[in-house]
Amino acid sequence: MTDTVTATLPIDLGSGPFAVTTRGLARRFGSVRALDGLDLQVPEGAVYVLVGPNGAGKSTLIRTLMGLVRYQAGAVSVLGRDPGDRGAEVRSGIGYVPEDYRVGYAWMTVGRLLEHQAVYHPSWDAEYARELRARYDIDPGRKCHTLSKGQSRRVQLVLALAHRPPLLLLDEPTDGLDHVVRDETLSILSEHLADSPTTVVISTHRVYEVEPLVDHVGVLSEGRLLGQLPRDELRGGLLRYWADVPEGWTGPGELGGRVVRRSGAARAIEWTVWGDRDAVTRGLSQAGAAVREVAPLSVDEAAVALLSGRKAS
Amino acid sequence: MKIRLSHADGRPLYVQIMDAVRSGLVRGTLRPQDPLPSVRDLSSSLRVNPRTVSQAYAALERDGVVQVRHGKGTFVAPGVRPEEKERPRLAREVARRALADASRSGLALPDLMTALRELDRDSHGDGRKEDGR
Repeated sequence: MTDTVTATLPIDLGSGPFAVTTRGLARRFGSVRALDGLDLQVPEGAVYVLVGPNGAGKSTLIRTLMGLVRYQAGAVSVLGRDPGDRGAEVRSGIGYVPEDYRVGYAWMTVGRLLEHQAVYHPSWDAEYARELRARYDIDPGRKCHTLSKGQSRRVQLVLALAHRPPLLLLDEPTDGLDHVVRDETLSILSEHLADSPTTVVISTHRVYEVEPLVDHVGVLSEGRLLGQLPRDELRGGLLRYWADVPEGWTGPGELGGRVVRRSGAARAIEWTVWGDRDAVTRGLSQAGAAVREVAPLSVDEAAVALLSGRKAS
Repeated sequence: MKIRLSHADGRPLYVQIMDAVRSGLVRGTLRPQDPLPSVRDLSSSLRVNPRTVSQAYAALERDGVVQVRHGKGTFVAPGVRPEEKERPRLAREVARRALADASRSGLALPDLMTALRELDRDSHGDGRKEDGR
């Protein structure tokens, strides 16, 4: 028995400084509103994960920040510039792993592609590029069109990281990689964060993988944010309450929090609530529920709770 | 220093790192003046954000457990007394989790105490069993 309630978490991260902001960002493709009044705020130095179902607008958003998709309404600032009219400038400061696997030109060798990038980016760190290439076991003699998905992904990660850009936009960065290479990528990203001052935006369906790296979370649905907040605030404020309740219990009149999701059986409830832990526990207890456990949610669980609440509305 | 993080654990990651350092002191695998791994190395091996490791080290420094020596790294504080402070603190933390677990299963303290005594009696002479996990 699961019953869901609409709820939106906070989306205002305050006054910054921000590496990336959008205000009222909108983009339609035909009748589809891919981005529908989106207010993104990515603080400088944050590792921000963008979560949402297929079609929520994650890739469109990232491509808009890159200046690869034109927006139709609103405002965008990426590293202080508008990618709408200064796309090339904006892109030179970004390490980008696109959703698409294809890299370079079919006939080009990987080694030539890396040299090409080194010329384009004055901040290219050749030694770091060599180190990454070795860790990823990339053969520079391979032609781009002969690369598998996983091999392309590794090349794309080297291209994104080796110029140590102030901003990384990673669209499903571990997609197509096997377990060992995925794990190596997480280790590389940890070291990269320790060595270079960087803001990171990661869009992924495998949130559990990057969760230990992440300090900000944005949940996207139908081109809008359902919540945008620091990971610690999500952990502290969105909690799951397990309680035993009397037969026919109808719930408290006043809870001191916002119920995001209700589920459970007749005499035992499992509620996901956004609010102050003590106030919610008191509210449940006063209404006759015996609270057994209160626990934080993983980012994955939080996203599922928020998105399923949305679906039912 | 061996650290295993659990993402199912209710404790934030930086607290798990702090508890792992305390546990090393209680076991004696970490001793006063020993160096801790650098923030970069530990975050890389745990695949966590380096800030999480910095946060744990800073909180341990506030608690007097470690010392940050600039340009040299982080070391276990010379005056640390694991038996007096770290041991009871760690024990309280383990007990708190056991109590929460019991409460979740609908058990009360006497149930837990009885079961703990019986288990301890059954495994007498093999009290280090839990370490092998």
